[in-house]
Amino acid sequence: MLRKIYFIFVLLLCLTVSSVSFADEQSARQVVEEFQNELLAVMKDGKALGFKGRYDKLDGAVRKSHDLPKIARIVVGKQWEELSADQQVRLEKAISQLSISAYAHNFKDFSGETFTFISEEETGRGGVVMHTNLHIPGEKDVKFDYMMKKKDDGWRIINIIADGVSDLALKRSEYTSVLSRDGFDALIAKITEKIDNYAAQ
Amino acid sequence: MVQKCQIAGGKAVFFGILLMTVVFFAANAGAEEQQAEEEAVASGKPEVKSDVDPYEGFNRAMFEFNDYLDDYVAKPISDAYLWAAPSFLKTGVTNFFSNLKDISVILNDHMQGKFEQGAEDTGRLLANSSLGLLGFVDVATDLGLKKHEEDFGQTLAVWGVPQGSYLVLPILGPTTARGLPGGVVDAAANPSFYVGMPVQLVSMLNTRANAEGALKFINEAAIDPYVFTREAYLQNQQHLISDGKISATVNVLPLEDEIFDDEDAGKTTKPNSAGKSVQPAANNGSSTLNKSLDSAVTALDQASVSLQETDQKLEKLKKARSRKARKSK
Repeated sequence: MLRKIYFIFVLLLCLTVSSVSFADEQSARQVVEEFQNELLAVMKDGKALGFKGRYDKLDGAVRKSHDLPKIARIVVGKQWEELSADQQVRLEKAISQLSISAYAHNFKDFSGETFTFISEEETGRGGVVMHTNLHIPGEKDVKFDYMMKKKDDGWRIINIIADGVSDLALKRSEYTSVLSRDGFDALIAKITEKIDNYAAQ
Repeated sequence: MVQKCQIAGGKAVFFGILLMTVVFFAANAGAEEQQAEEEAVASGKPEVKSDVDPYEGFNRAMFEFNDYLDDYVAKPISDAYLWAAPSFLKTGVTNFFSNLKDISVILNDHMQGKFEQGAEDTGRLLANSSLGLLGFVDVATDLGLKKHEEDFGQTLAVWGVPQGSYLVLPILGPTTARGLPGGVVDAAANPSFYVGMPVQLVSMLNTRANAEGALKFINEAAIDPYVFTREAYLQNQQHLISDGKISATVNVLPLEDEIFDDEDAGKTTKPNSAGKSVQPAANNGSSTLNKSLDSAVTALDQASVSLQETDQKLEKLKKARSRKARKSK
């Protein structure tokens, strides 16, 4: 009898401890899955919402789950240090708008898509890669790998790799190339042009 | 007959040009890289050129030429085809050429040692060519036989041939020094290559029409379409070569280093990550050479260790024998 009580007590203790630690902070997987669910919800309402509606809904979801300041830093590589404080702010704002606009444009309607979690992989230096699959009925699955990094207040997405193509690496090659060829103002002008294009369609 | 001869002649010329370009690029690769390095050192500037793309000037010109050609020739025809052709016809044509391509896929499956996948793809070819009415209907996918993407460029990669420089060819588009001979072999393994111009034109139209979505995406997303296409092409190649297994990690790790470096230090900037491509596949020639040298050295080490061991064993045996001999005396 005593043993039984003791056993139940330990079980309860375990439960409370685990629930406390989960309540504190979302796991990397939860961050990704919550974002994917929000994305699917926006897609389902996509047509009714229109671009502006999708943008407004995704604005919070993207900022919450992505580390946009970090992304803005990495896409210009070493040249970040050479930008003035004002330019850094402008770049970060432009990149944030571009990321959200791209989501709002590319995920505009719903035709039965589902995301499935495959596995979680730790990288060498404390990062995590979440491997997921986007299933589109009647088409080949697309592999979506999210590279995550822990910030003070939880896990954030830094990079998305779709079928082996890394968004961050791609942007980085492009942005450093434009920056060294045409300069900062041209870079911002090109980003703004892309944002306007997304919004116009 | 005359026409046939002309086509055959044209093919020979085409092959010749391709081969000459391969030889030219291969011969120049080493020299130009060295030259670029020297120039960078001389001017005191960090190298902005990407390692994978030493012919960026030429490539950009070709890219623009292809873009122009696409705007004025390929896209209008493709748009008309996409607009006018009923969807069952478009799917049928895509399936037909995809089925012909499966022959080269099967060959490459086997050359890469993927025998199970080779069997699956052979099943696809048989099912689609017969039940699928010469390939117009993709019955194999419905039967649960998955389509695979293999080509001779990937086979060469599996065999350890380094990627080499990135190249943009007129009309044919992006490839690499490794993909170029790969493309020639794949073309030779594709029946549509031998049938004649009209079929090849339809094949090209089909390819262009199917690329419409991707091209539209690049147009919308890229702020430098040339760089975007290059990086996306090279990364996707890497993804195909590894069959999607390792590329996530491979593509992530160099970037991750940068993310953490930038955080840890902030002040000390690493010179090695500047302006270079993040693609690990960029490691061509020299690093593969280094790697193979390294492995040769370790193999030699192991061999000498095992030699020593056998030597010791032999000595022990000798001693044991002489003891036995003494005892028997």
